[in-house]
Amino acid sequence: MRAIPATRGPRGAPPPPPPLAALLQSNALLDDAALAGATPLRADVLVLGGGGAGAAAALAAAGAGRQVILATKLRMGDSNTVMAEGGIQAAIGPEDSLQHHFDDTLRGGHNSADPHLVKQLVTDGPAVIRWLIGLGMHFDLEKEAGLGARLLRKKAGGTTVPRILSHRDVTGLEMMRVLREAVELHPRITVMNRCPAVELLSDDAGACVGAVLYDLEHRRFLLLRSPAVILATGGSGRLHLGGFPTSNHYGATADGLVLAYRMGARLRDLDSFQYHPTGVAWPAPLAGGLISEAVRSAGAWLVNGHGQRFVDELLARDIVAAAILREIAEGRGVTRGGRVGVFLDTPGLLARQPDLLETRLTGLKHLAHKAGFDPRREPFLVAPTLHYQNGGAVIDPQGETTIPGLYAAGEVSGGVHGRNRLMGNALLEIISFGRRAGAHAAARPVAAYSRGGIEHVHRWQRALAAAGLPRAPRAPLLYPDYAPFSLRQHAAA
Amino acid sequence: MDAHTPPPPEAGPAAAPAAGITLVIDGVEITAAPEASILQAAAHGTAALTANIGCMGQGVCGSCRCMVRRQGERQVETRLACETRAEAGMEVSFIDYFIPEHRHVYDIAEVTESWGLLDQLNAIFPEAAHCRHCGGCDRACPKGIAVQQGVALCVAGDFDAAARGFDECVMCNLCTLACPEHIRPNNLGLFVRRATAALTLRPIDLVRRLREIEQGAMAVEIPPEAGAGAAPAVEHDA
Ligand SMILES: Cc1cc2nc3c(=O)[nH]c(=O)nc-3n(C[C@H](O)[C@H](O)[C@H](O)COP(=O)(O)OP(=O)(O)OC[C@H]3O[C@@H](n4cnc5c(N)ncnc54)[C@H](O)[C@@H]3O)c2cc1C
Ligand code: SF4
Ligand code: SF4
Ligand code: FES
Repeated sequence: MRAIPATRGPRGAPPPPPPLAALLQSNALLDDAALAGATPLRADVLVLGGGGAGAAAALAAAGAGRQVILATKLRMGDSNTVMAEGGIQAAIGPEDSLQHHFDDTLRGGHNSADPHLVKQLVTDGPAVIRWLIGLGMHFDLEKEAGLGARLLRKKAGGTTVPRILSHRDVTGLEMMRVLREAVELHPRITVMNRCPAVELLSDDAGACVGAVLYDLEHRRFLLLRSPAVILATGGSGRLHLGGFPTSNHYGATADGLVLAYRMGARLRDLDSFQYHPTGVAWPAPLAGGLISEAVRSAGAWLVNGHGQRFVDELLARDIVAAAILREIAEGRGVTRGGRVGVFLDTPGLLARQPDLLETRLTGLKHLAHKAGFDPRREPFLVAPTLHYQNGGAVIDPQGETTIPGLYAAGEVSGGVHGRNRLMGNALLEIISFGRRAGAHAAARPVAAYSRGGIEHVHRWQRALAAAGLPRAPRAPLLYPDYAPFSLRQHAAA
Repeated sequence: MDAHTPPPPEAGPAAAPAAGITLVIDGVEITAAPEASILQAAAHGTAALTANIGCMGQGVCGSCRCMVRRQGERQVETRLACETRAEAGMEVSFIDYFIPEHRHVYDIAEVTESWGLLDQLNAIFPEAAHCRHCGGCDRACPKGIAVQQGVALCVAGDFDAAARGFDECVMCNLCTLACPEHIRPNNLGLFVRRATAALTLRPIDLVRRLREIEQGAMAVEIPPEAGAGAAPAVEHDA
């Protein structure tokens, strides 16, 4: 990225897309006046973000006896996690092994992931599934239930063995409602809804010792001191990088990256995002939403405006997405209601296999119902949609960033997938690393609550001024910019 | 593909239209694209939404619950705003997400006795047996779940059927808001779902793999060139 303020470390890191770079180089939302009037609070462990990674971290830390506050921007559970459909990877098949899972993951990420993180991820897999079952999550079984039953396994693109475990096509919903209930019922976890983190707190030694939250309901700032802070704020789809629609939830605005970077944490692969090839292009109200990979796996073709197939639909996601964009860029797309895409030929598929809609593709059936047409007669118009932030904060296998006291877990972290992610590895990552971060954070001494302040912000602002950027925009963004949100105006009202 | 591939021409939810339909959301008149959902209409209103919004169309987070009255109709319905199309003359008010005063508190790890599951259910959800069959929950549910029947199945101990009945529940809490007996049908349904999984799901392939890992038979070897394709990381030096 353009070095303002200068970036350190090995040169040649690929630059993030300009809108993300602008946020990383932005000014703080917060000033000393707001800080002085803030209400003080304390926790042994502070978790930022109410998706799967945050919930897993909070449960692990509270399970270790700590008093935990989980603060989240929207409402507990409103996240990318609840939206996940396909499933979660864990190497449990008799022909499978942890090593196969490791090899597939590393190869899928073009050998750019941190192998120590990948080893941790795959090794945790089976125990993660057991933990989730213990909390009360259902998984589909191969045949009927009962002792001796086996888990139903599906195959993800880019893997050698079927390894995806799921609960029908609502795996994230099943996971998130169980996690949310467990968190909300836990006696040592306090959930603070509608309290986004707007800045981190640092001590003299540069460690992270808490965060400043903005309480939207009471229009006040909270100064939350804690010897350990776990960032679990998820991804950045709602930046609509490159002008793409997104599959992500409303709160995916890169807040965690901005806060961590400003504090001095090391970030990686910020230029690397995953685009899901079959996002809805039309009808407009559903634009950006996903049509599951299952539809292509079942044999649906992609057809351009000339009525021709143009790619093997079952190739890796990035290749299929690029092929669709090429058709559109070279004028072979299809326009409908002002939206451009290519056809996903559901009429053809359903003519060949008429019972699919009732058996395997119930998600497609629901989607078509919402779209208001019959997929047996009309095809969907699809185009790539911004789906996943591959990069993020550099972490070690315990989830700690390069800043002492600051942990990161889930989509906000980087290195677990490298520059491309396999389907099903994100849901595994959030539980595996969420729990690790929570357990490790719980092991930090809580005796001394450091006062903490925003000296790192002052240093940052001086650097911005020196670089000629005194009026840099303010971030974290908190909400997408469809309608303007001004923290200052909100707090002043 | 990288982030700099030429974009398709349209992004984000349906952009605010030139000519559209007009509806009233939380007392404010809003113009929306003819095909927009209520939630999209609200998101393109004058103020940024900071609540009642999450998955934005998938209909799985349950945050966008609202009351809707269509033009010319008396009846008010409860709906998910992201799954309901905006119509001219509609009146909409979002319903705050409330944090219940008292909850039915339990620790699933302590629900270990399958012989006594029905007793535990009655102890944790004592109101469930008092359903007065008013049907309020069924009318409230935006997902069309047979909530009342689900409650009855829970109370009868028909646990698998009850769990299946609540399978598509998005925990929007509308049934709980509607229930005069404070049964909290969705939390009851979730309790039964959790208990049935935690007590009965013992996949043998998972059990075997866990044992192999414990016995050290599943080592992962990191080859020497692993991770060689990584790009350098960044941090600032201010
Ligand atoms: C539609 C869809 C389908 C998917 N399907 C799959 C799948 O089948 N398998 C798979 O493995 N992965 C899938 N993924 C990816 C996976 O779901 C996510 O990567 C993962 O759930 C991220 O979890 P998380 O906890 O890191 O972030 P999230 O679940 O997004 O949670 C982040 C939380 O932080 C909150 N937050 C944001 N900013 C702040 C702030 N400033 N202060 C406080 N809180 C904040 C957010 O509101 C949110 O609650 C899918 C993703 C999407 C969008
Ligand atoms: S059962 Fe209750 S909580 Fe679940 S979707 Fe229906 S109304 Fe909402
Ligand atoms: S609203 Fe409550 S009392 Fe009425 S039918 Fe439903 S569960 Fe029974
Ligand atoms: S926004 Fe999630 S259900 Fe409507």
